[in-house]
Amino acid sequence: MADYLTQDTACIALNRQPSLLLELGRLRGAEPALLLREAGIPAAGLLDPQRQISPQQYLQLLGQLLRHGKHPELPFLLGQNLLPGHYGAVSHALLQAADAGQALQLLLQYQSLLCPLLTPHLHLGPRQAVLYWTPAYACGSLLPALVEMHLAAVTAMCRWLGDAHLPWRYSFNRTRPRHIEQHQVHLGQQLHFNAPLDALLIERDALAQPWPRGNRTAVEMLLPRIAAPEGAAAARRSLLALLYDWLQQAMRTPPTLEAAASHLRVSPATLKRHLAREGTHFQAELDQARAHVSLYLLHERHYSNEAIAAHLGYHDANNFRRAFKRWTGQTPGLLRSDLDAAG
Amino acid sequence: MYESLRTPLKLSLGGLLACLLLYASYGEPKPLGEWKWVDIFGEGGTALMSGLWAILILASRPGGRVTWLLAGGLGAIMLGAWVDCLDEFYRVPAAYPWDNWLESLLTPAGMLLLTGGLYAWRQEQASLNQHLQKRERLLREHRAFDRVTELADADYLRRQIRLEQGRSPRLPCALILLDLDHFHRVNREHGQLEGDRLLQAVSHLLLLNLRNHDLLCRYAGDRFAMLLPETGQAEAERIANHLAAMLGQLTHYPRTGGTPLTISARVACAIADCQAEPLLNRLNQALEPQAARSPGFARVIAGQRA
Repeated sequence: MADYLTQDTACIALNRQPSLLLELGRLRGAEPALLLREAGIPAAGLLDPQRQISPQQYLQLLGQLLRHGKHPELPFLLGQNLLPGHYGAVSHALLQAADAGQALQLLLQYQSLLCPLLTPHLHLGPRQAVLYWTPAYACGSLLPALVEMHLAAVTAMCRWLGDAHLPWRYSFNRTRPRHIEQHQVHLGQQLHFNAPLDALLIERDALAQPWPRGNRTAVEMLLPRIAAPEGAAAARRSLLALLYDWLQQAMRTPPTLEAAASHLRVSPATLKRHLAREGTHFQAELDQARAHVSLYLLHERHYSNEAIAAHLGYHDANNFRRAFKRWTGQTPGLLRSDLDAAG
Repeated sequence: MYESLRTPLKLSLGGLLACLLLYASYGEPKPLGEWKWVDIFGEGGTALMSGLWAILILASRPGGRVTWLLAGGLGAIMLGAWVDCLDEFYRVPAAYPWDNWLESLLTPAGMLLLTGGLYAWRQEQASLNQHLQKRERLLREHRAFDRVTELADADYLRRQIRLEQGRSPRLPCALILLDLDHFHRVNREHGQLEGDRLLQAVSHLLLLNLRNHDLLCRYAGDRFAMLLPETGQAEAERIANHLAAMLGQLTHYPRTGGTPLTISARVACAIADCQAEPLLNRLNQALEPQAARSPGFARVIAGQRA
């Protein structure tokens, strides 16, 4: 039995994130019972606090809400209430986070409880911090809405708990949308589209500004209380999240499907099948991880193409340049100037 | 909605059946060889279509004089065509003059009713237009309206800016953006429903304080946009200040009781003398909290807390 979550694992308590979604639906005229039925979730036992639904069902619910509401504002409104949320001890810990930096660490540590659909990754450079997101499960056409939702969630949480607007910059791995006004009002003016990552960027100093209600000791005392079953649930992560982390570590070996399967303690055939169920395959995940590592080396470490090629095990810089163009649609040189403009 | 269809449906079915009975009992059936298929299809089709239009009108409009006139007119036209159609199947002896009356009276009477209905509809629309004027101005596009405030959205605003610039390129036209301070706290601390109610209150207050030819839109979230045709910078600034001051006076009573909420707003305005997109970018930039501390190109006027 694999020890990771897939899109069919019942692992999201209905009274957490999904209930926020149902509440917003109700306000916008879509009855919760209707949304649940359309998402194929049996209404029996709805009030049971232990009731869990699968990521796929949660995604279905989101899809139905967006279909009914048809308003580009919905993902942002959903995001606003997502964090710190009302998810027990972990939400209490967020409420008392000492600063944005600690809040982001909590978000990373308890991602399965706080933001089960998208996996956050935090890169701390010498001056700049980058919080970027990758899908934890196959999200299909819902990915843009999920990205808007999660960027809005972090922005709104920091604005509320920190009682100040942080100077975030936003990058989106998509073309500029028509509903740009929603981004401007709910996020801010620093928006960059056609970027290689869905990310929030900020100076590290801003993350260390103390929050008025912050209390580092209280957070440390709360954390052990995130006990079973919550603690156990928090420790389990999605297949794509675990594979991504392993690929980052094993980048230089170079990583193979067999090695990944043995790390995840499943057979290569099972891993292949599970990846197919998530709508992806090993090479696509490897390419994504390589693209992200190269971006990091390009932008934060100012590596040359030759140095990155050597780091990733390519024979020469030309091979790397071609591969990079395939992953991101841009050459490293172009992207270097782009990122400098954005950063 | 189907409840309101019941009586008219009964009436028209009764009319259709009565005509059929009348012809069947007084007329003699024509042999199959004398049937004129083209006429049957033409007249039958007219009857079917007018009946369908009447149903569409009844199903899509609230009841009232205009609706009854339109549906009644179409119903009479339907009966007229139906009588014409029955004429193709039955020959009514010349001793009965009602056949001719029915044929020549029903359709013109229906047309008269329909004409009266359309005229009354025009008047109704004129009074609705007056009501909607500050919300839509010059163009109607029902998909562009926001469900919470019933105001037009940013897409609509961008089109209106272009329209206004094309319409009178030499007259100045001003644009105001207005953003509520700390609105997110209302959503957090009082719930989204209360937030929606506050946005509705704000939109009503803004509508009441605008001139008849101004346009109010909900840009996004808690940011409103106002397009002021034929207005210069000084006048726009005065209006923007006035609106911010009015909002500062607003007291909003939450549904659940408790302390009334007060709000304040930041405004930025500029003359719409360039493309909609850069203009909106500039004003949005001016509303950013960091920018508010050191005003840039657009004048930023901080509202006063009540």
